[in-house]
Order: sequence, then C-alpha cells, then structure tokens
Amino acid sequence: MGEYALLYILFAPFAGALALIFVSNRQPTLVRGIAASVAFVSLVASLYIFYGYDTVQGGFQFVQKFAWSKELGIALYLGVDGIGTPLVLASSILLFAGIFVSWHIKDRAKEFYIWLLILAAATIGVFMSLDLFFLYFFYEMSVIPMYLLLGMWGSHTKKYLEMTDSEGLKRRDSVGFIFNFGSNSKEYAAMKLVLFLSAFAVAALMGILLIYKFSGLNTFDILVLREHANLMNIPVLGTTLDKIIWILVFFGFASIAPIWPLHSWSPVGHAAAPAATSMLHAGVLMKLGHFSIIRVAFEILPETTRELMPIAAVLCMFSIIYGGFVAFYAKDTKYVIGYSSSSHMGYVFLGMAALNYISLSGAVIYMFAHAMATGMLFAMAGWVYDQTHTRDIPSLGGLSNKMPFISGCFIVGCMASIGMPGTVNFVAEIMIVVGSWNKYPLQVIVAMLGIVLTLAYLFKMMRGLFYGPMNQKYSHAHDAVGTVDRLPLLMMITISIGFGIFPMHLYEVVRSGVDPLIARITHVVPVAESDEGSRSVKAAAEITQPPAIPMVSNKPIAQVSEASRGGQE
Amino acid sequence: MNFVLNLSFSDLLLLLPEIFLTCWLCVVITVDFVSPRLPKERLAYLSVGGLLVTLGCLAWFDVNQVSGTLFGNMFVLDRMAIFFKIFILGSTVLVILASIEYVDRFTLFRGEYYALVVMSALGMMFMASANDLLSVFVSLEFSTLGFYILVAYLRNDLASNEAGLKFFILGVFAAGLFAYGISLVYGETGKLVFSDMASAQATPGLIIGFLLIFAALGFKIGAVPFHSWIPDTYHGAPTPVTAFLSIAPKGAALAILLRIFIVALGTFKPTWIYLIVAVSIVSMTYGNIVAIAQRNIKRLLAYSGIAQIGNLLIGLAAGTKMGNDAILFYLLAYLFANLGAFAVVIAVSQAIGRDEIEDYRGLGRRSPFLAFSMLLFLLSLAGVPPLAGFIGKLYIFIAAIKEGLYTLITVGLINIVISMYYYLIVVKQMYINEPIDPSPISIRGPMKAVIYVGLAGTLVIGIYPQPFTDWVVAATLMFANFVTPAATITPPTVLIGS
Repeated sequence: MGEYALLYILFAPFAGALALIFVSNRQPTLVRGIAASVAFVSLVASLYIFYGYDTVQGGFQFVQKFAWSKELGIALYLGVDGIGTPLVLASSILLFAGIFVSWHIKDRAKEFYIWLLILAAATIGVFMSLDLFFLYFFYEMSVIPMYLLLGMWGSHTKKYLEMTDSEGLKRRDSVGFIFNFGSNSKEYAAMKLVLFLSAFAVAALMGILLIYKFSGLNTFDILVLREHANLMNIPVLGTTLDKIIWILVFFGFASIAPIWPLHSWSPVGHAAAPAATSMLHAGVLMKLGHFSIIRVAFEILPETTRELMPIAAVLCMFSIIYGGFVAFYAKDTKYVIGYSSSSHMGYVFLGMAALNYISLSGAVIYMFAHAMATGMLFAMAGWVYDQTHTRDIPSLGGLSNKMPFISGCFIVGCMASIGMPGTVNFVAEIMIVVGSWNKYPLQVIVAMLGIVLTLAYLFKMMRGLFYGPMNQKYSHAHDAVGTVDRLPLLMMITISIGFGIFPMHLYEVVRSGVDPLIARITHVVPVAESDEGSRSVKAAAEITQPPAIPMVSNKPIAQVSEASRGGQE
Repeated sequence: MNFVLNLSFSDLLLLLPEIFLTCWLCVVITVDFVSPRLPKERLAYLSVGGLLVTLGCLAWFDVNQVSGTLFGNMFVLDRMAIFFKIFILGSTVLVILASIEYVDRFTLFRGEYYALVVMSALGMMFMASANDLLSVFVSLEFSTLGFYILVAYLRNDLASNEAGLKFFILGVFAAGLFAYGISLVYGETGKLVFSDMASAQATPGLIIGFLLIFAALGFKIGAVPFHSWIPDTYHGAPTPVTAFLSIAPKGAALAILLRIFIVALGTFKPTWIYLIVAVSIVSMTYGNIVAIAQRNIKRLLAYSGIAQIGNLLIGLAAGTKMGNDAILFYLLAYLFANLGAFAVVIAVSQAIGRDEIEDYRGLGRRSPFLAFSMLLFLLSLAGVPPLAGFIGKLYIFIAAIKEGLYTLITVGLINIVISMYYYLIVVKQMYINEPIDPSPISIRGPMKAVIYVGLAGTLVIGIYPQPFTDWVVAATLMFANFVTPAATITPPTVLIGS
C-alpha cells in the first residue's frame, strides 16, 4: 500500500467529488460524511508519507509514473521530496479541518464540498508533481473552484449594499461594475482573483513552454530538465534566455504567493471567501507560488536563481511592511488576516532569497506553520462572522463572554501567528531570521519590525472582537460547543504546538529536501569541513541540531553562512 | 490533365459512404413525402440511423486504412479525409438529435429540415475529400446551398430572414472570389490538383489567386477580416443550425486550408506564414474583446468561435505535422465543447424562449445538470484543465513554440485570460445570481444524450488524451505521406483492407 500513498492522497478527494455528484442535497449527513471520509483518507495517507519519508535517503520518494501523452512528452509523474511532504500534509490537514469548519453550510452543501475537494486535490497535485505540465495543470485547476466558492458562498463587504440598487440587478451585471476597483462585492473579488491568477499563470506557462523548447528534450520531466539547465544559457534580446524564463516563472508564480506589487487580489479574495475557502486559500493556495518557484526556478535554473533571487529580497520588504500596515488599519476581520497573510508570505520570500540551508528550511517550515496559524484565524473569523453576520471590527466587542472557547483559541492563534516560542512558527521564524542575517541584515530588521506589527494588529483585532463592551445586538451569538465545531481548531492548535515543541522530524524532512537543492544552487555543502560529498550533507544536518529548538545555537549557522557566502564570491 | 473515368467496383467502394448517404437522403425525403402524418421525430431518428451507418463504414475504413484517389486526383480518400468525415458526421448526428424539439417551431417543411441537414453534411464530406480546386468549389457550394436555406428556416422571424439574406449575399460574394481565384491560379499554373502545384513559381497572379481563395475560405471559417456575417447569422439562425454552422463547415474548410497550405503551397511557407500569423492574431484578439460586450449567448458564442478560429490558425502557422495534429485535436475538443454549449442554449431557449445571457440567471438552481454542463463546456472553450480545450490549446502552443512563433503564442496566452472573463460572466449568471423565476427546467431524452456525449468527450479527451492524439497523429501521417512527390506523381493503387 505504501508506494501508492500519493495516489490515495491525490485521488481520494477527486473520487469524493465524483461520488458527491450522485448524492442528493436532501441527504446532508451523507454529503458531509463522504466529504469528511475522503478528506480523512487523504489525511491518513499524508501522515503516512510524512512519517514514512526516509530522511536519510532524501530525494523524491513514493514516486509514481504513468505515461500520459507520448507525442507531447507528458507523464503523470508524482513524487514528494522534503519540501513537498510537509506541504502535502498541511493541505490535507486544512482540507479535513475545512470540511468541519463548513459543517453548517445549508445552501447547496453538495456543490460546496465538490468544489472544496477539487480545490484541495488540485493544490495537493501541485505539491507532488514532478512534471512541469502537470504542475501547471493542477495549478490552473485550483483557480476555477475558487471562483465558484467565492461567488456562490462568499460574502460581500460592508459597503457593498450601498453601491447597488435595491434589487442589485443592473449595476451588478455591468462590465463597469466588475472593473470598479472600489467595489466590495464577492463577484468582483472572485473575478479579480481568477483573472489575476490566470494572467500570471499564463506568464509562467510561457516560461514552461520556453524551457520545453530550449531544452530540446521533448519532455516536461523536471528531473530530466534540471540536468540540462545550461542549454538555456543563450543570449537573446540583450540578456540571456534563462533570465527571461526565470522572470516569467518567478513573477508568474509569485503572483499567487503573493509578492508585494501583485498582492491586491489576495486580501479581497480572502475577505469574500467562505471560512473554509479562506483557510485553504491562505493556508495552502498561496504556498503554491513559493513551491512552484522552488520546483521550477530553483530546480531547473539554479545559476539564474542565484543571480536574480535578490529581486525577491527587495520585494519581500515591501510585502512585509505594506501588508503589516494595511492590516493594522483595516477594520474588517478578514482583511486583517488576509493582509497579515500576504505580509507573512514576505518572510518566506526572505528565507528563499537568502539561499542558505537554514533560511530555506525555515521558509519551508514557515509555509507549514503559517498554514496552521492562518487556518485557525480564518476558521475563527468565519465562526464570528457566522454568529454575528458582520466582519466590521469596531461594531463588535466583548464576544469572549459569549464565546469563551473561541476567544481562548484566538489567543493561541495570534500567538502562533506572531511566532511565540512553543509554536512551530517560532522555529520557522528564527531559522529564517538567523539564516538570512549574514546576507540580508536590512531585510531581517524589517522582518523584526514586521513581527512587532503583527503583534500590534492581531492584538488590536483580538481586543476589538473579544474584549471591551459588548454590543447587545450580538447577544444571541454562541460559542463553538459541539465536537464538530471544536475539532478543527483543536487539531490545528495541537499540530502547531506539537511541532513547535518537537520540531525534529519536520526539520529533518525539510532539511533532506533543502540540502541538495541549496548545494546545487550555491555549490557549497552545509558545513565547511565536510569533504565526503553528498553523504556529508546529511551528517552536517545532524551536527547543526542542538536537541530542543534546533537553530538557537549560533556556531554552526555562522559556519554555514560563511560557507555559502564563500560560494557566492 | 486526363480524367480517367474507368471506375471499377473497388473504386466505387471509396465513395461508398457518400453514395450510401445520398441514397439515404432520398429515402428520408421520400418517407416524408409519402407519409406526411408520420411524426417528424421519426424522420430525425431515420436520418440519424443513416448517418450512424455511414459513420460505421468510415470507422471501418479508418481501422483498415483504406485509401486512394478517384477521378484523376479530384477526390482523395486518405486518413485525414476520413477523420474530417467522421468529424462532420459526428457533429451532424449531434445536431439532429439536438434539434428534435426545436423543429416544432418551424411552421412549414419540418421534414425537409432533416434532409437539408444531411445534404449539407454530404457536401462537407466531399469537401473533406476534395483534392482539386474545382472539386473544392463544387463541394463548397453544394454544402453552403443547404445552409442558405437552413439559416432562414424560421420564416416568420425577421432576424432569421436577415441572417439568411446576409449569409447568402456574403456567401455568394465569397463564391465569386473563390471562382476568380481559381481562374487566376489555373491561368498561372495550368494545374488544378493541389499536389501538382507544389512546384509552381510565385507569380503575382498566383499570389493574388491564392489570396482570393484564402479570403473565400476565411469567410467559411469566419476569420477576421472575413467574419462580418458571423454574429448576425449566428444570432438570427435557428439555434441548431447555428450549432451546426459553428462546427462542421469550419472543420471542412480547415481540411481544405490544410490541403492548400501544406500540400499546394508547402514550399511558400516563409511567405504565407505572415498572412496566417496576422489573421490569427487579429481573429483571436478581435473575437475575444468583442465577445466581452455581448448580451446574447449566441452572439457571445459567435465571437468566441471567431477567437477559436484564431487559435486554430496558430496550428496552421506552425505548418508542421505537429501543427496539423494539433489542429485536428483542437477541432475534436472544440466539437464537444461547442456543440455541448449550443445544446444547453437550445435546451434553455426551449424552456425560456430567449437567448439573452441574463436569462441564465440562477440556472444553477433551476437545472443543476444544465448549468454544470454549460460550466464545463465554457471552461473547456476557455482552456481550463482538466478539460479537452486545455489540452487542445496546449497542443497547439507546443506545436507553435517548436517553430519559434513566440509572438503568436504570447497573444494566444493573453487571449486565454481575456476569454476567461466573458465565459465567467455566463458562469456568474448561472451560479452566483439568484433566479427570478425559480421553476425547474426539464430536458428531454435526445437533448440529454447530446449533452452527455458532449460532457463525455470534453472530460475524456481532457483527462486521457492518448487515444485521441494517436488518432490525429495517424490521420495526418497518411496525409503527410500522400503529399510527398513520389506518391502524387504515380497515383497509389487502391488499397482495400490492410
């Protein structure tokens, strides 16, 4: 069974979606049951690959390959490395949690679960694709379900109703309305999201097609293409082709990440989406960007990555600061969390830009950690919205009387999002900060400022929602009391804190994926004195770890950084 | 030029599908004439039966690789011709099934409707096999004759009459251009068979002649700047006829374009590539941008069809075998998605009586099946994975990038995003907006069957394209072999069986 684990993870949600088509909406229990059980299958199989992943051996494991089109050189080629494994796990955790978070959806529940399952399966598909075609295939496939999820089950923001006539007929359907950038409708959010992501996705597709052509191998296989990356180093248009491809791929995928100037679709989309969709969107969909950049740009064009990655280092500062400030001034719970997410994604870019063993591992762990933290926050924002039907922070307050459990969990969520010691976010943040200090001190200072900002806006929101005088209008609001409502939150909290206290396995898995990648990009092995080739990489990874929280000890890190800087010069 | 008309029995076998269909056409007309009280639905099934038999015959030809030429190379039966014949007949079957209910709207001549559809299909089958400018001309006019009548079939509807008139005037004009083009080409080269022209010199007369021929065929496929009839005709014509018009003639005309540009003008590729690239870019961009402003679903699909033709021409611009494969593959994907979308349009218009996009409000609640089908068809047209249209577009892009057509691909990719917008506007109406009249919409059996076929095609080609790519590769392989000089100087012997 073990070797087929990836197929179970990927196809269980698809099979569930297919089965749901034949179930009537009049049987809500059956609908939810099918959705939850296929998500459970995915979750169990993800846990299996996460703990079954052989960190000593490293590389791509659980590999499955099926020829798909001979003429085009496409194979359904699945496999996970140390970078994909935690992200697959995060996706299935959030899918499972998301199904319980949306347990009370009444309107067209069947269709909701179908699209949610397809969305999750498509993101999982990206994380395990070793074929450029299928990477793009699943990437693009994840966009359309977002449109329907936002459009059908989403919500408008506060100013929406003032903008339409009483029946909401005329203006909502006009072209001008969709392109009215001040509007706050869910239709606008959904359309903007799809067009934005598609526009940049086709840029990435152009990059992929150029790789396909200039490798001349008639294959989309990443593992084959990465051995022939030097073929693309030819002059064109006053620069070299690999740089053009890299820019196309980087910005094509960075739009979903979202990096600073391309972020505007994201908070709007977060705000309009139903809770479970926001969770998947912020939790894993945004990571598709980072992951695809690592998979395509880092793997296939390592030399170019080393030259051009400083672009990300510059842009990530704007992401962190801009997102943080907007989140501080936003008055809508979901906008706060949405902008906080796009701000936090700046840390991942910082960790990726430093091109260092510690920082890139930190970036990958941060993706996992952020998925849990932001998943919790969106789930709770969704709960508050369901109870009060508003997301306007100033009009809320004092809800901790009515919902002590939620408010307690919210504190944990905020702590995780800030990166308190004890949560996995702390491990990740400290690794990013320590790993990139030598190369990008300014960015690290900005990141620190960003953490302070996170503290400020999350506490401001927490106070606004749960403390202070309560608006009597919301006295009917009640707490999450049922197992179904508490389960997703408790699960995400457990995972966040569990990996915060015992990060070793996660760290080793990630490290086994990061090590060969960084070795190819920077041409240095993790520790200066090692001289035995690839096996020493593993040995070095073990040396660098003090027992409890790995990256606090400074000495080995300094060595690594020195080494990687040496490689740059 | 010697026309050898000593037809043997085995030669006639090559014509068997056409001969059978001609006889069947007479049977349909006669049955209608003899028993006027027969429900017209029976006539539809009678026609479908004949078409299915013909399809079976063609499938047998395809499996056994029957090929050969007739009438001094005027008529050629290679695997590409067989592919296009299957394509045309398949779309005819689906169109007839989809029009069974719609036919009740016609006041007169309900029985002849089916005969005319079959007649047009017959003309297009000859187009797929035409290997000579004269036979192209004759078969083109033969098939268009049926369409002139069909487009104006709603006698009391002004829009339909206008559509018919517009289509007729422009169609005759295109025929005139075509005839003039033929005369110039024949005057310059003294040849009519495509494969004989490969060695021609590029004289001004020849260039103008082929430009005129291209204009006439551009009219048939509806490429910009020859598209002006498309929106009004699609809008006014009876919807099943629109569906038919949007698929089958395009396929048949593309078969001719392939034969002309790859076979006859293969050596001039460095010259004509600019023409095709320009027409392709303009068609895609114009079609997609104008489609944004449409309020009528038929007009929207008309403009989207113009854009799709731009996409198909990318494959022609590539000019390689892979480009031809991609065109054939894309046509298959387009057949299922476009016919499916039109089937939904027919079903909705049967229930509501109108074709405006705002009439699709809340279709997701009124008929989840129709809305879901329409969603998949539109997304396939837009090129979203895992649907057939995505693979088709990618196939074409890959064929083009191998030839280094970067500008064309960039424009094509940008157009995917533009087209996403207007397709999603329909999706928004269906799913996001609430219905004004929430009464459910019911659909009848034949229509359901058409939609199921469309869904199956769209999904199967998208998820498992290997058998279909094999088929199109084999189809153009025979075609490619056939165009080599050796094969055309001495006409190959007729092969029956393998």
